[in-house]
Amino acid sequence: MVDLIKRLSLNKYTVDKESHIQVNTQICKTCKDKPCVKVCPAGTYEPDEKDGLIVHYERCLECGAALVACPYGALKFRFPYGGISYRYG
Amino acid sequence: MSFDADVVVVGGGLAGISAAITATREGLSVIVLERGDYSGSKNVAGGRMYIHALKDLVDISDAPLERKVEREIYEVYCGNGRKISFSYEDKNRVDSYTVLRAKFDQWFAKKAEEEGVLFSYSTLVSNARREKGGITLETNRGEVRAPLVIEADGVTAGISRYLGLRNLKPSMLMLGVKEVIGTAWDEGVARTIIGFEGLKGGGFVYSNRDTLSIGLTVKVDSLQGSEVKAQDIVEKFREMIGIEGPILEYSAHLIPYYGYANLPQLNAENLIVTGDAAGFLINDGFTIRGMDLAIESGKVAGKAAKLIKDENYADTSIYVKMLEESFVMRDMKKAWKSFSLLGEKRIFSDYPKVLCEVLGDMFLVNGERRTLREELMEKIKEENLNLTQMVLDLVRFIG
Repeated sequence: MVDLIKRLSLNKYTVDKESHIQVNTQICKTCKDKPCVKVCPAGTYEPDEKDGLIVHYERCLECGAALVACPYGALKFRFPYGGISYRYG
Repeated sequence: MSFDADVVVVGGGLAGISAAITATREGLSVIVLERGDYSGSKNVAGGRMYIHALKDLVDISDAPLERKVEREIYEVYCGNGRKISFSYEDKNRVDSYTVLRAKFDQWFAKKAEEEGVLFSYSTLVSNARREKGGITLETNRGEVRAPLVIEADGVTAGISRYLGLRNLKPSMLMLGVKEVIGTAWDEGVARTIIGFEGLKGGGFVYSNRDTLSIGLTVKVDSLQGSEVKAQDIVEKFREMIGIEGPILEYSAHLIPYYGYANLPQLNAENLIVTGDAAGFLINDGFTIRGMDLAIESGKVAGKAAKLIKDENYADTSIYVKMLEESFVMRDMKKAWKSFSLLGEKRIFSDYPKVLCEVLGDMFLVNGERRTLREELMEKIKEENLNLTQMVLDLVRFIG
């Protein structure tokens, strides 16, 4: 199995200065099952004991799943200005 | 109030480009807003296009299509190293081609530019509001106003969401994850694979000229409660089907999975919705297609735009009427019964398992031979399946 980070590193990104994903970590702190972690194909969301959730927005593949991944309304997602440029698609 | 064009198309993919070409030919002024640096840069597609709708729109003699699909392979994985497969081959068919959309959409956009369509790339629409007989789009390059917006912004349907016309639901969406592998096969193959980790969905392999497109599509609601993470599934899948070679790109995208009876709102005042944004995707068990529906709905939208303009933009419902008469809605409607059936667990999990068990025993010789009927009845009973239900499902599937 090829590791996720290795796979993501093959892609071409222009990373925005600011994150295009906002999280209400107050909600994440009370969330046990963390469906966003299961659903995101890019490993953008990492559970964190102290902060509830860490967002690695630079990994985002812009699939759009973040718009429906969180049933508790903790994620606010918009598409980035830069972001990924697929070369094969 | 002044408008920037007769029509603003949001999204420069298949639907948007088709709409823009058609509307331009109808004599309208058109601007396409594309958030990527080039058309296709934000696109992920499994990899096969049925080309009938494209052929009617533009000359495809120089289109960057990958391989003509000559062989269809179906595989059902039933666990414990068991697998059922069948294939269908026709060397003479020319109806579908594998395709890589980053390359393809750039070619298609160039075709549109040659016909006078204006594209504004790297332009992200961040909000839309209705204003004085039109829609105002807020973008990173300033505001754009039009009396008619053709929404072609893909499955996440931003414009419909901004205008309060759409709520995305996990139950109506699939997640597609894909890898492009640097391995070449010497024929055009489409492989459909069922039976992976008990997830609702399936896998695919398409052979391109120099690469393979492999991936999985899985219902988002089935992932939310799953044991396996979306970030791992494509690699596990690749190992299961035994495909090797360097990974060239890792990608993911949502896929609309509404079906005819659940389609979202397709028009509103000053707005018509096309392609993935409109939820146009067909899965009838034999074909899975969205690209030809995107192209055709774009064409219909471009033609409807002219009629809508002629009536002073008063009413957009003509678009839906025209769609109903096109193959887009006719085929969506015909596929509905099998489409809804294919969402049931018993189809991709229980039935394949029984089929595998039965075949396993029928191919086995160990001195305890039984008839096919005996085998079938026993396995159906073991799996707690209902024979009446199975017959009903079959009837539903054949349409």
